[in-house]
Amino acid sequence: MGLELKGLKKVLGGRVIIDDLNLRVEPGEMISLLGPSGCGKTTTLRMIAGFLTVDSGKILVSGKDVTDLGPEKRPSAMVFQNYALWPHMTVSKNVAYPLKIKGLSKESIAEKVEAALSLVNLLHHKDSRPGRISGGEQQRVALARALVQEPSILLLDEPLSNLDAKLREKVREDIRQLQRRLAITTVIVTHDQEEALSISDRVAVMNNGKIEQFSTPHDLYNAPATEYVATFIGSLNRFEGDLIDGLIQPGNYVIGVRPEDITISTESRAGSYSGVVELIIPRGHFYEVVVRREDATFRAFLNINVPLVGAQVFVSINKALRYFDGKLVA
Amino acid sequence: MISLRSKRNSEGSLAKKGERPSSHVRPGVLGLALSLPPLLLVGVFIGLPILIGLTFSLGFTAGPNRVISIIGQQIHKKSHWWGTLQAYSDVLHDSRFRGDLVLTIFVTVLSTTLVLLLALAIALYQRLIGGRKASVLVTLSIVPLFVPVVISAWAIHTFYGGDGFMRTFFSHFGINFPTLTSTPSAIVIGTVWTSLPFAILMISSGLQAIPDALIESAKDCGASSLRVIANILIPLAKTPIIIAGSFTSIGILGSFTIPLFLGPNQPTMLGVEISNFFGSYNRPQQSLVMAFIVFAIASGIAVMYVRSNVKSAKESGRL
Amino acid sequence: MLKKFKFGRIGINLFIGLLALFILGPIFWLAVHAFAVDWHYPDLYPSGVTLHWWSKVFLDSALSTAIRNSLIISPIVVILSMVICLPAAYAAGRMNYFGRKAFMIGVFSANSFPKIGLFAAIATLYYALNLMGTFLGVVIVQLLGTIIYMTWIPAAAFAAVPRNLEEAARDAGANKFTVFRTITLRMAMPGILVAIVMSFLASFDEAQGSYLVGAPAIYTMPTEMYSLVQNYPIQVAAVFSILLALPSVLLLGLARKHIMGGQLAEGFQLK
Repeated sequence: MGLELKGLKKVLGGRVIIDDLNLRVEPGEMISLLGPSGCGKTTTLRMIAGFLTVDSGKILVSGKDVTDLGPEKRPSAMVFQNYALWPHMTVSKNVAYPLKIKGLSKESIAEKVEAALSLVNLLHHKDSRPGRISGGEQQRVALARALVQEPSILLLDEPLSNLDAKLREKVREDIRQLQRRLAITTVIVTHDQEEALSISDRVAVMNNGKIEQFSTPHDLYNAPATEYVATFIGSLNRFEGDLIDGLIQPGNYVIGVRPEDITISTESRAGSYSGVVELIIPRGHFYEVVVRREDATFRAFLNINVPLVGAQVFVSINKALRYFDGKLVA
Repeated sequence: MISLRSKRNSEGSLAKKGERPSSHVRPGVLGLALSLPPLLLVGVFIGLPILIGLTFSLGFTAGPNRVISIIGQQIHKKSHWWGTLQAYSDVLHDSRFRGDLVLTIFVTVLSTTLVLLLALAIALYQRLIGGRKASVLVTLSIVPLFVPVVISAWAIHTFYGGDGFMRTFFSHFGINFPTLTSTPSAIVIGTVWTSLPFAILMISSGLQAIPDALIESAKDCGASSLRVIANILIPLAKTPIIIAGSFTSIGILGSFTIPLFLGPNQPTMLGVEISNFFGSYNRPQQSLVMAFIVFAIASGIAVMYVRSNVKSAKESGRL
Repeated sequence: MLKKFKFGRIGINLFIGLLALFILGPIFWLAVHAFAVDWHYPDLYPSGVTLHWWSKVFLDSALSTAIRNSLIISPIVVILSMVICLPAAYAAGRMNYFGRKAFMIGVFSANSFPKIGLFAAIATLYYALNLMGTFLGVVIVQLLGTIIYMTWIPAAAFAAVPRNLEEAARDAGANKFTVFRTITLRMAMPGILVAIVMSFLASFDEAQGSYLVGAPAIYTMPTEMYSLVQNYPIQVAAVFSILLALPSVLLLGLARKHIMGGQLAEGFQLK
């Protein structure tokens, strides 16, 4: 078992932030803790790293109980959100620091630092100061510094949030490739579901200190276990009632329909709704089409046969998720 | 009220906080003009006396130095066009002065070291552990700021004096606590007492400015608290520590009231000796010579402060 | 593990106790004397409590004159200091002009000259200008001590006002003066208040210079202390000390939030 969290509980400022949290991560797996701010994901990460004490429960890394160890003794290495590079040290010295503490020889340190910096393609900046390199480069230094420790667990705190959009995609790929190559158990904290889905083996969707679902991106999207997960991951058309013969009827359920499961046609047919196209939002390679009726709004994704704004169209639902009391039912 | 004029003027466009706009002619002239009053004040009442005092110390006795030259004794008049070094020679060969100089430097170094160690200890405790006990320590350290120096000197005198608290308290245990007043130890106690607040304020604010993440990342790399202090905290707080050290040592170097109340008669700190020579012994020229020697030492320390400031501003990219 | 924890607790409590004794001890010891009838070594407390010494101080003409002098001179000094230094502080904090750094450093180094030596040099000048023992002479000497506070600290405060807040005000239609009054001045006010408090105290507590140039014609409270401790019983010195410390305690207590909030420390970084 790469990482195991058993029954974790944490109270901060009188509020219960985390209650009875359980998680098992396979060795070499890359998982994300995903959720909005305040859901407890950062608290959980900091408990794994050792910066927060655990009120009750256990943390095991590679089978060893590390719950009572301070951060300096844990086999984990963290890449901080703002990189936390020491401004008075060069890039090499930053990366060398953990090795210096271990007491390795100068030659050994130089060798390992060089290896780490080449891994992230920053050898040319080894004598630069952090203040003089770009944000993306700083992050790579932080990553090198974590990897040079050969940790059992790699922790990444919102690794992409400070980067601009184009850079984000590239860095995402780089991190994923690196992690696959080194096969280090990795936990990422993020609030961006696209980020989580694109690079994780599994994602733990968190809400109010609890993990609502811990699955592969595919299962999270296609079979979200709770209404919360369905709304958080991807877009969702939400209706109250029941879906019978493709039409929304009064009922006790909450019906969720993914935008790509909605068809828009210029002809009416059985089980379709009429409506007027209110808005067309270009999304690059597809369009988001908003159709409005007095009693409902539908959002659909289309990339061909896109109607014009104001056109009268007919909407049919092909597939839906049904939730009772927040949980997925057949 | 809606202004029809253009929205951005030439001076302030898009400057970020703390940035200065590039120097145009008008702000430059305006800036100089606004700085004139204090500049003149400092120039006339500090710069000028220092210059005149310097000339007097070198033996120029005419003009503004005429009155003092008549009043004072043992005045050496200039023997070359640039003056004379006789007064300086007098002072440097004076055994009394030498004793004072040694004492002054000794007390300054010792007190500054003690102040910095104490302030560092308290500020580090506050930064790394924090909590109410840390706040109590910091608040205690700031108390001397509230007390005028004259009173501090007197209060410390009565506390450590012949019938002061220390001797009173220990006499009840049969211990004969030494009378510390009129000894260099009392001067050290007094200067540490009065210098602590500023040092704590500077060093504590310097340490507080270091983000938690820099400490946590060091721990994540395996650093113990001791290592964090040595490798991360102290280097990053270098500038405030140097500022505290400079201010403290410059202040103690020229101090007058504390050594007057608490120190021995001989040797004493140079501040007291300067006053003695000017007043009681009526040797104003030698008094000024001593003042310039102290100023030379203080300037050396001040240069260190400015250089450290400039260096740190360069490194962080501000200059 | 428990043992280490206990020692740490004892250690820190001991340290707090020692520091409290070191800092507060002298003050309390002196303060109690102000109410003591009689106190002889080696008693740990006085023979009785009285207010007798307080009336003695207020009824003594020399002492009450000194009190009156201090209370008149210091406010004047602070106001003069504000008029002379604040515009310069504004310029130093906000404008870039030739010699700005030299100006700031000059003010700083003028403060490094040993005060007592400086006053000896000033006395020489004063003799020539006939300012010895005059009201104006004492005002000038105290004014000099306030300059560093009234330039460096407000300069940092002015520099710290975010430009975009001012730009937003101009954008909304306010003219330069209104912006200065409602935005810049308002936001720099904590720093200016700290400067005023520090300057008042620098003037009020100023002893050395006032002593050298004022005595024997003019005595302020601090200069009075020099002779007082030799010529009066300790209880009188104690009462006088409390009176002299009162403005300090009050003003710094009021400004404490800002001083400990960093205005003082911020002011002394060269930017």
